[in-house]
Amino acid sequence: MKLLKEVWARRFAIKHLVLKNFRVRYRNMALGVVWSVLNPLIMLGVLVFIFTYVFPNRGDQTFFPIFLLIGLVHYNSFARMISASTLSIVEHGLLIKKVAFPRIIIPVTTVFSQVIDVMVLMALLTVFVLIFQVPTGWSYLWIFVSMGVQLVFTLGLAFITSSLHVYYRDMMYIVESGLTVLFWLTPIFYPLDFIHTKLPTWLYGLYILNPLCGSIHMSRLAILQQGQPDVIAAGIALCVSLATFVTGVIMFQTLQRRFADYM
Amino acid sequence: MIRLDNVSKRYNLRANKPFLLRDLGMRLVGKRPTTLDFWALRDVSLEVKPGEAVGVVGRNGAGKSTLLGIIAGTIFPNSGNVATEGRVCALLELGVGFNPDLTGRENVYLNAALLGLSEDEVNERYDDILKFAELEDFIDMPVCKYSSGMTMRLGFSVAIHIEPEVFIVDEMLTVGDQSFQKKCLERITQLKESGTTFLLVSHNHTNIKFLCSEVVWLDKGEVRATGSAEDVLGAYTDAFT
Repeated sequence: MKLLKEVWARRFAIKHLVLKNFRVRYRNMALGVVWSVLNPLIMLGVLVFIFTYVFPNRGDQTFFPIFLLIGLVHYNSFARMISASTLSIVEHGLLIKKVAFPRIIIPVTTVFSQVIDVMVLMALLTVFVLIFQVPTGWSYLWIFVSMGVQLVFTLGLAFITSSLHVYYRDMMYIVESGLTVLFWLTPIFYPLDFIHTKLPTWLYGLYILNPLCGSIHMSRLAILQQGQPDVIAAGIALCVSLATFVTGVIMFQTLQRRFADYM
Repeated sequence: MIRLDNVSKRYNLRANKPFLLRDLGMRLVGKRPTTLDFWALRDVSLEVKPGEAVGVVGRNGAGKSTLLGIIAGTIFPNSGNVATEGRVCALLELGVGFNPDLTGRENVYLNAALLGLSEDEVNERYDDILKFAELEDFIDMPVCKYSSGMTMRLGFSVAIHIEPEVFIVDEMLTVGDQSFQKKCLERITQLKESGTTFLLVSHNHTNIKFLCSEVVWLDKGEVRATGSAEDVLGAYTDAFT
């Protein structure tokens, strides 16, 4: 609670750190902010093209390109937030050595600096949903919940990776490899139900502990089947996310005392 | 107010080269991993009352910067107690808080926010900061286009307008030209009179004598002498001639 109060007292600093990240990112670029839209548009566009014309509908999955995009939007948001925040503490090393402020605002601002990009991804997804005339309704709004659950998980994990990276710079490579592994261990190219039938129960139990599974599943149900979230998958995702968040905060607060010694 | 009671800080000189696997192995067979300890500070006690200015002298590596870091709250001591009252502000070295890609204005806001000002406070002081730094004409240019003197002036101006209760200064009175230095000293004197506590690290004895009544001499992490500026600086100079 005390930490929350301290962070809240520094909300002005958080705002300006986020602004800084934006400004630094887009300065000296001809297209600037346009890249935030263009880049994901190209990625999503080429995938839609490939899976509409080159490898058309696999038959068992209606709106396969959209199905794919949902998974990718989730995974991409997660991956870019984690890779950016892992390096964030070390990147702000000089500041950490010289100025006393709650260190946790560094990974928090780095994660939030990506939120605009994630919103762009979600907006583009919506555009493709409209183009493909996927029948959806109010259930569409569940994607904000699933993204929210994922954000809690991402923040928690970012606290862990960014603080460990100060002590062991190997973290960067562990995260990189981890993200590659996760890409295939997350239901992006296949539905969650499919993996359920393939894996033995105990292994599926491990698999589902990855909160991305639950949140992608939730978004897919919401967009493609106008359905409510699957209570078990969503519940597991929420619990694991909250646990990761709490662990992350505790770990970060323990490790941050010696950050300045390792810069 | 600053008070330190028996503060010690140990650095593990091997810390930047972690042998995670080897360390784990040694722990498994019940041995403690080898460390190479270096005491940057050992049992340092110090008290600075509100409105007082204390100078710190010592050779390179005597622990001056570690001491300042501990008071600023960026470094945690291994033992001992640190107590400060009110907002503590360390004058940032050239470029630390500044991002070269941002304009002067953006940097002022970022810096002031990080040093703990609220939005209203910055808005209120913004004009004074500019005026003091004499940079009104360049404020919307990126800081990478500034000369080093301009950057320092801006940094100093932001720090001094934070109006902290405790002001920590590491070798800063070399900021800008003669007239700016004079202005800085005036402003510091003014702050001192209004009750700001100063801790000043400097190799420039004239500046220390001008501002500080008391001086602490650090030697290899320990307090070698403390007393009036005249006495300690005299002894310090004698020791190295």
